[in-house]
Amino acid sequence: MGQPTAITDDQFESEVINSNTPVLVDFWAEWCGPCKAVAPTLVELAGDYDGRLKVVKVDVDENREAATRFGIRSIPSLLIFKDGAEVDRIIGALPKQQLAEKIDGHL
Amino acid sequence: MNEQQPSEKSMQRMQKYCDKYWEKTGTSPHPNAEVTDSVVKGLAAHVDELGRPLCPCNFYPDKKAELERSREWVCACDEMKIWKYCHCLLFVTPEGLPITEYLPEDHEGRQMYGLVEDPTPDKGREARHRAPA
Repeated sequence: MGQPTAITDDQFESEVINSNTPVLVDFWAEWCGPCKAVAPTLVELAGDYDGRLKVVKVDVDENREAATRFGIRSIPSLLIFKDGAEVDRIIGALPKQQLAEKIDGHL
Repeated sequence: MNEQQPSEKSMQRMQKYCDKYWEKTGTSPHPNAEVTDSVVKGLAAHVDELGRPLCPCNFYPDKKAELERSREWVCACDEMKIWKYCHCLLFVTPEGLPITEYLPEDHEGRQMYGLVEDPTPDKGREARHRAPA
């Protein structure tokens, strides 16, 4: 069963940009309340979409390069990448159903 | 952010501040205590690190430069004072939703959470006069 994977700046290119499957990237931080609120939902989504969507997490305090590159401001910011390009951006702790609808639109 | 635990002094300061601000604005803590606890710790850690309670729910390429630029994201942030909107989910409705009623319709909060009405419209929004016309 799929699980969100923590990645670093150094892994962003290989794990996200060069991924053969769409990727949901969770830009988060340790002491961000809504990041905590949405985390269990992302675990569920990683399982539900196992094999069709990769879910990765980027701690913005530890990985400033990726956060800067994609102009992250509010966190959590959930970016969906397909074929190496950002195709959607979701900001905030949305309910699972709304996140799933966004994801479905890109698979 | 420095992920060491914030000092007890800063934690008490921020907890006291939040208690007063919930009352002043008629908002509530998030029903998931872990959400509130995280944010209070983040604010307290920024007090230790920077001397100001910078919002922990944003990414800043340079935190010190951000504080020199503006107090926009010092808690309570401009969005809270103008529109009663807390994207950090610290000051929310009893159901845990951020109030979006006063946000411009093209604001990301309105687009993401839809219309969330203010249950206590007689309280808060101390800087409402700064809302764009």
